[in-house]
Amino acid sequence: MARHPSWVTGPGPRRDPAATLTVGILWLLLALFVVYPLAALLARVLFDQGRFTPDGITGLLVDRNQIRAFVNSLLLGLGVGIGGTLVGLLFAFTAARARLNRTLLTLLDAAVLLPLVSPPFTSAIAMIFSFGPRGLITYDLLGLKGVTVYGVTSTLASEILTYFPIAYLTLRPLIAGIDSNIEGMALSLGASRWRVFRTVTLPLAIPGLANAFLLLFAASLADFATPLILAGNSFPVLPTQAYLQITGLFDLRGGAVLSFALLLPALAVFLLQRYWVSRRYYTTVTGKGAGQAPFDSIAPGVRAVLLAACALVALIVLYFYALLLYASLVVALGANHAFTLAHYRVIFTDGAKAIVDTLIIAGIAMPLGGLYGVLVGYFVTRKRFPGQRTMEMTSMLDYALPGTIVGIAYLIAFNTPPVQITGTALIIIACYIFRYGPTGIRTTVALLQQIDRSLEEASNGLGAGSGTTFRRVTLPLILPAFFAALGVVFIRSMTAISATIFLVSVGWTLITVKILQDMTELALGPAAAFSVLVVAIVFVMIAVIGQVLNLFRAQGAPRMTSMLGG
Amino acid sequence: MGAVAQSAIAVEVDGVSKRFSHRVKGDVYAARNVRFTAAPGEFVTLLGPSGCGKTTTLRMIAGFEQPDEGRIRFGNDDVTHVPANRRGIGFVFQNYALFPHLSVFDNVAYGLEVRGEPARDVAARVGDVLALVGLTGYEHQFSAQLSGGEQQRVALARAIVIHPRVLLFDEPLSNLDAKLRVQMRTDIRELQRRLAITTVYVTHDQEEAMAVSDRIVVMNQGTIVQEGTAEDLYHRPASEFVATFVGRVNLVPGTVVEADGDGATIAALGTTFRARARGALQVGDGAKLVLRPEAIEVVRGADGLAARVVTRTFLGEKVEYQLACGDTSLQAIRPSSAGGEAIGVGDPVALHFADETLVALPASDR
Repeated sequence: MARHPSWVTGPGPRRDPAATLTVGILWLLLALFVVYPLAALLARVLFDQGRFTPDGITGLLVDRNQIRAFVNSLLLGLGVGIGGTLVGLLFAFTAARARLNRTLLTLLDAAVLLPLVSPPFTSAIAMIFSFGPRGLITYDLLGLKGVTVYGVTSTLASEILTYFPIAYLTLRPLIAGIDSNIEGMALSLGASRWRVFRTVTLPLAIPGLANAFLLLFAASLADFATPLILAGNSFPVLPTQAYLQITGLFDLRGGAVLSFALLLPALAVFLLQRYWVSRRYYTTVTGKGAGQAPFDSIAPGVRAVLLAACALVALIVLYFYALLLYASLVVALGANHAFTLAHYRVIFTDGAKAIVDTLIIAGIAMPLGGLYGVLVGYFVTRKRFPGQRTMEMTSMLDYALPGTIVGIAYLIAFNTPPVQITGTALIIIACYIFRYGPTGIRTTVALLQQIDRSLEEASNGLGAGSGTTFRRVTLPLILPAFFAALGVVFIRSMTAISATIFLVSVGWTLITVKILQDMTELALGPAAAFSVLVVAIVFVMIAVIGQVLNLFRAQGAPRMTSMLGG
Repeated sequence: MGAVAQSAIAVEVDGVSKRFSHRVKGDVYAARNVRFTAAPGEFVTLLGPSGCGKTTTLRMIAGFEQPDEGRIRFGNDDVTHVPANRRGIGFVFQNYALFPHLSVFDNVAYGLEVRGEPARDVAARVGDVLALVGLTGYEHQFSAQLSGGEQQRVALARAIVIHPRVLLFDEPLSNLDAKLRVQMRTDIRELQRRLAITTVYVTHDQEEAMAVSDRIVVMNQGTIVQEGTAEDLYHRPASEFVATFVGRVNLVPGTVVEADGDGATIAALGTTFRARARGALQVGDGAKLVLRPEAIEVVRGADGLAARVVTRTFLGEKVEYQLACGDTSLQAIRPSSAGGEAIGVGDPVALHFADETLVALPASDR
């Protein structure tokens, strides 16, 4: 025996000071950067000049323009929810049941990945390039003159193309997880394939469909960039109205009231999704599926139709991105198609500050957001402390709420003392950490639920304290979640706009904001070049994170389901 | 093994209780006033059906759970409030709980490194203990690459390499197939004897318990119902629960016709039996007669208690009979013999009982 045994006996302190301190710090941060801004927003809506007054809300109820924006937002969300869920279902069902070979599956996934990692308005820009007054399709191909692309149709189409991947990612594991023996059973009982789909597959997928619908509804409700570019004056929605109220009319309170109107449906969807739909998954569905289908669940003819439909959507997506690349390389799309690198020269000279600022901010937010996500995820699943569930709820707030609300809340809260950080990089970094760090919380929680508690107890029993156990056992096992969170925070930091548009300043600006400015100034070439740059950076980042995750997978750590999960 | 284990210590579980609140039933005791002592170097098994509180008790000994009442002592040390990582235990989990991100070597070395042992000692001791469990050459494998039996051995090596004061096993063999289970339990028993570490072992398998233990503590519904050697429990069950849980049994209802110091005469099956009495038996009371299947001799002829063969199952080294004795159905097990005329289904037979094996229990006892 090399040394005296370390099991010094006698009653010792049961409390864990390091854990208590961490919980305290997390609460402090959540209070400052999540609760306080939202409270400040509510206060701005409910109080005027220090006195309680409901006129902010009553004013909303009588203003026909604002009511129209409210109704429009809901209608758009409904359309995107239904349309996006259908397209997502098409892709998910085809991927899970049409027996695609690897190449086809990879192509399908690539088409889906593109919109998911791009700035949210790239398809909107491509839409204008295609269907605008001098659009490649409307003007050059069809010879139409004086058409307008702006309005509800293009907004709807653009948002569906942007957000259907969310539905796909939600539905595909669900459909793949349905034991195909159940379908085979129905078929053996004499049902036709269509009947099997209608009476077995679809009903089992209904909770997933509802979930996908709500996620898309929320995404559309929160989308700011697409309507700003495409909706035009004829179709006002809440996020754009709030933005115009603040940047156009400098009416902070009016913007706050509008974002409050946005808060209600967003909160309703969040609660519905969290407490109703997510508990209605059928247990048979969550079990392990029977790898290979014992029969062809799709008739050959139908398979061809499904594949063709998927190919069409995929082609549109690819065409949009090709068009973006093309537009960044010609003098002026629609007018002068001579090759030029001028737009790239512009973004690397005039736009250099935005690029550097974005990279600095993303670079700082990335590790902090990842750390925050892993810590909160670990504490809410593995430690017992008062207010645990409240902490989890609170941490998800900024993630679940539309960016417009978060942005305006930050603007109101941090514009004045005690914490005056408007105009600094800090406010944007904080926004990214608390808005996108929660993806790290979710992946950490999901991973920890796969890791049996006995692993930590084994370490504990072998003599390691809670700190050593976390460092040497838990942390290595949840590292994939950490890296996934790093990736998500970085990607979102590169592509986000809805919240940060309110937080940029002369001192600190962002690529996405610059793209929006270029769009409004009709500098379409530089806008396209910026977009291509962002997509390129994001893809490099995804490749790097993917490699790192593969490294961990090789060592037998639990698999990550999807690094973009949520 | 390089170093010899320090002298073994007793584990004393002193009136320990663990409550939890149930949504419907209110406060429920997972363990209630559990009291037993494992002597230094002794192998004690907690045996009982699922939910009887045996695992809860074990986890309280380990320090993974805090008892609501009672004390736990290792030797002279009261460890009731000592955290698990400072108790000096070796714990083997049902699912092995191997660290999936660490190699076999690093898994086994973990406890030594946590204790700050110098790297050279660590390597030597891990090598020794891997040799001891027959896993030399597996150092660089990961748990996902090992078979169930190999994982079990790594878990065992990881638990003993730190020279624990107490070895704790939580149903360690339940994830193995039947053959491997028998092999592993022999190995565990032999290892424990060599290391002379006081051991508490949890299982629901009575055969496993009898095979490995010095002493068995039978638990039911959170409390201890009987403790003793395997022979004690089998031949002298204190209750119907123990009689039926440990081994196979015929429980024949009867009436007490005579009761004295340590025996009783029971009227049952139309005859009388002389049996050892457990519990208070009064003349005229109902009683249950514990008849082990192997204590019933089945012979041809009419000299004995008459019965009829209902089924006969040949199992190689033994033959099982299902017998009808009046209205009562009895099981009997006889060693099979190559010679002689086999007794067939429907044959009338005579039964003989080895009186010294019979036990009488009060009828109401459960």
